[in-house]
Amino acid sequence: MAALRALKAVLVDLSGTLHIEDSAVPGAQKALKRQPAVRGMESRCHFTAKDSRVFLLGCLKKILSDSFLPIHVIVLPEENHGLIFPGIITDDPNAVVVGLAPEHFHYEMMNRTFWLVLDEAPLIAIHKARYFKKKDGLALGPGPFVAGLEYTTDTKATVVGKPDKTFFLEALRGTDCTPEEAVMIGDDFRDDVGGAQNAGMRGILVRTGKYQPADEEKISLAPYLTCENFPEAVEHILEHLL
Amino acid sequence: MAAWARAVRGLLLDVSGVLYDSGGEGGGVPIAGSVEAVRRIKAAGLKLQFCTNETQATREKFVKKLQGMGFDISVAEVTAPAPAACRILKERSLRPHLLVHNDLLPEFAEIDKTNPNCVVIGDAAENFTYANLNEAFRVLIGMEKPVLISLGRGRYYKETDGLKLDVGAYMKALEYACDVQAEVVGKPAKMFFESALAEMGVPPQQAGCCGCPQRLFCPACGTSGLRQHVALRELLQGCNRAPELQSQKLCPWKQI
Repeated sequence: MAALRALKAVLVDLSGTLHIEDSAVPGAQKALKRQPAVRGMESRCHFTAKDSRVFLLGCLKKILSDSFLPIHVIVLPEENHGLIFPGIITDDPNAVVVGLAPEHFHYEMMNRTFWLVLDEAPLIAIHKARYFKKKDGLALGPGPFVAGLEYTTDTKATVVGKPDKTFFLEALRGTDCTPEEAVMIGDDFRDDVGGAQNAGMRGILVRTGKYQPADEEKISLAPYLTCENFPEAVEHILEHLL
Repeated sequence: MAAWARAVRGLLLDVSGVLYDSGGEGGGVPIAGSVEAVRRIKAAGLKLQFCTNETQATREKFVKKLQGMGFDISVAEVTAPAPAACRILKERSLRPHLLVHNDLLPEFAEIDKTNPNCVVIGDAAENFTYANLNEAFRVLIGMEKPVLISLGRGRYYKETDGLKLDVGAYMKALEYACDVQAEVVGKPAKMFFESALAEMGVPPQQAGCCGCPQRLFCPACGTSGLRQHVALRELLQGCNRAPELQSQKLCPWKQI
């Protein structure tokens, strides 16, 4: 461990790691306050990029009401050319953006989206997570629906969120922190841990949220560490990485 | 008619997109000339087996619909994925969680569905809701070794009001979500073509296959020993659109 460079930034996944729907993971608030330079890392999108940000910040505010940490939520840059967000169809769209929108993942909306992509509208995925944790169990994320559209139209979606390398590096922009000096904490072994490690960071997998037994053995480059939960990850960082 | 075509004793015929376009009131409209074409094939003494990935209705209902459009067709002449899937379920003692069209449910009436140990997905159309897909996903992710059986893997098909996503899109979604590979029952699975041929009583060397020119047929014919693709309507009407279709890279037309 001596060869590891001192840590400067901690990236934290939100859903499944800090909170599940509107409940905080036990101990998360307290642990968060002990972290230096925390950046919240999330690419969920409920309606539009803007709303997503508002939604997330609102959600976080509720959970972390007494915290003043600089939570930085990265979302899709707002483009002003015609986009279709599931749920909001602009007039005459020429691109498709898929985020997490369970209420819109159904037969009719999938067909409409399919027609657009078949008509050569670029397919953009805010992320391709397979599933996420809800209070009553696991639930499908946008990834499977994007995969279905890719298959039927013989196209490849552009993924702008996790696990895309650029997205992780974007989180460090404006800091003087290199990927080697950052650690990512999340509950998704592929998109959080795999993605971060692919970008040169260390990845810590937590056994909350969507975590399933033996997830840590399912990626080629094993997680730097697997912890019970976010507070335990923080404990490790404070003791060993600073 | 090409020389090889004279050796053909039986034809496997795709239905949706070849004989009729589905959707709308009455369940669809026949494609011009196709009712007559089926009659001519039968009059010429060729055997016919309708080989469909149709999973929105039982075979009985499906046949009734086609008869209503004027087609000379009987239940015994139809090979469809659901009955084939039922055979597999029984053989392997699998109890399915079904994500299929309501009208297909009677095909599974005899199958034990308690405490499911696999998921069977068909073209469920309006039943492809987030809640239903999620339920199927939870059954799969809860299994140590998820078993997903897909009735076909078509990408899309044409209805009277436009193209519709087929079961393949949703099969892929569940495959991706659970990191599994679905077992496909129906075209283009080799076994499915073989059972259609067996039902027709014609060996592969003497069979032709006519499908809507979709990719899904090419590997099938390559691997199942069927002689060639036959664009039936073109064949019967003596108009050869082969170069045009070949340029779309849809079918191995040059074999003909």
